[in-house]
Amino acid sequence: MVEHSELIHEEAATERAMFGFWVYLMTDLLMFAVLFAVYAVLHDNTLNGPTGKDLFSLPLALSETLILLTSSFTSGIGIVAAREGNKKQVFTWFGLTFLLGLAFLGLELKEFTEFIHAGHTISSNAFFSSFFALVGTHGLHIISGLLWMGITLYYVSKRGLTKSMVRKLTLLSLFWHFLDIVWIFIFTIVYLRAFV
Amino acid sequence: MSIKNPKGEGDATKSYFIGFFLSLLFTAVPYYLVTSKTVSGTALLATIVSIAVIQMAIQVFFFLHLGRGPKPLYNVVFFAGTVGLILVVVIGSIFIMNNLHYNMAPADVTTKLAQDESIAQVSGTSTGACQEVYKNYQVIFTDGKMSPHSINAHLCDTLTFVNKDSSAHIVVFGTYPQDASYSGEADLNVNKSVPQTITLNQLGSYQFYDQLDRQTTGDFTVSP
Repeated sequence: MVEHSELIHEEAATERAMFGFWVYLMTDLLMFAVLFAVYAVLHDNTLNGPTGKDLFSLPLALSETLILLTSSFTSGIGIVAAREGNKKQVFTWFGLTFLLGLAFLGLELKEFTEFIHAGHTISSNAFFSSFFALVGTHGLHIISGLLWMGITLYYVSKRGLTKSMVRKLTLLSLFWHFLDIVWIFIFTIVYLRAFV
Repeated sequence: MSIKNPKGEGDATKSYFIGFFLSLLFTAVPYYLVTSKTVSGTALLATIVSIAVIQMAIQVFFFLHLGRGPKPLYNVVFFAGTVGLILVVVIGSIFIMNNLHYNMAPADVTTKLAQDESIAQVSGTSTGACQEVYKNYQVIFTDGKMSPHSINAHLCDTLTFVNKDSSAHIVVFGTYPQDASYSGEADLNVNKSVPQTITLNQLGSYQFYDQLDRQTTGDFTVSP
């Protein structure tokens, strides 16, 4: 009986955490929507400078997309392992997610540094302001996600796969899926659209 | 949202695999369409945006498992509300800004205003004002000095700044530190090989100085 009520309590806590986190994700999505709207309005205002078509590399954007998509998938498989209580697999799958996240970040930073070395900074024109604001905000989310993942995995290694750790991992993977969904639109609206 | 029984874990794994496969497919298709250029223009744009929306739906369903758990309804409602708000913000912004762009200063109105104000050029295009070339005056920089210091001109004459020094000169209208502007120009960057010419289309007396050597000043008067 006691065990049963604890289970119900635990499940209610998970439900609450999920809903709270979901509300956060939706407000974050609204912020991205505004950045997308700004980019859609300003992306032609290049002050006669080079446009996205002249600068973007589609193979690079595709690699970033595939890396992030795969990492979203591995984080999902990691959650299945966490629910099954398989600590070793949790480290394998989330470790893979972490590395893929780092690879994504590396490619993004490579692109940004190339732009900045070529003299295209956030203050060059409205196009670059909106580009760096939108893609950079996504990149900052990836950085926070990686920090969060590192810290959570550290605690999993210390405390094991407790109910509360599984919950934290679930929220983390929710966040990671969310970043992948936002990236689909960056890939489409920013990169693919430039070549339409 | 959460599937807890052992049978459920198998379902969850399957769902991640399906989602991953479909997402790969819906990434490859728009990439192929854009690089191969089989479709183009608005049709292509509409297609790739639709595919992005479909891929979002796929990931929301197969990765986030939205709408698949036992009590997920409030999450679905919240998601739907957010999507609604996003559509209003994004479509509204694009619509309003395009409309503003379309309605702001059509070319013929700009030209008429420019002619009324005797502005000779708008964005590099002649407006028809001051079309006849009257007299050209020159201000020449040599050895850090400028001559002549004072010019009396008539409307629609032109004034050219020539730099014969090796160093740069920047002509700023007004008197330091009260900068002004003449005919929409605040300053002129007069490089050695590039003389700068302005059309004198504003009446009155004006002063200017060299930003790099503020002792060097001059003035010109434009009369009808």
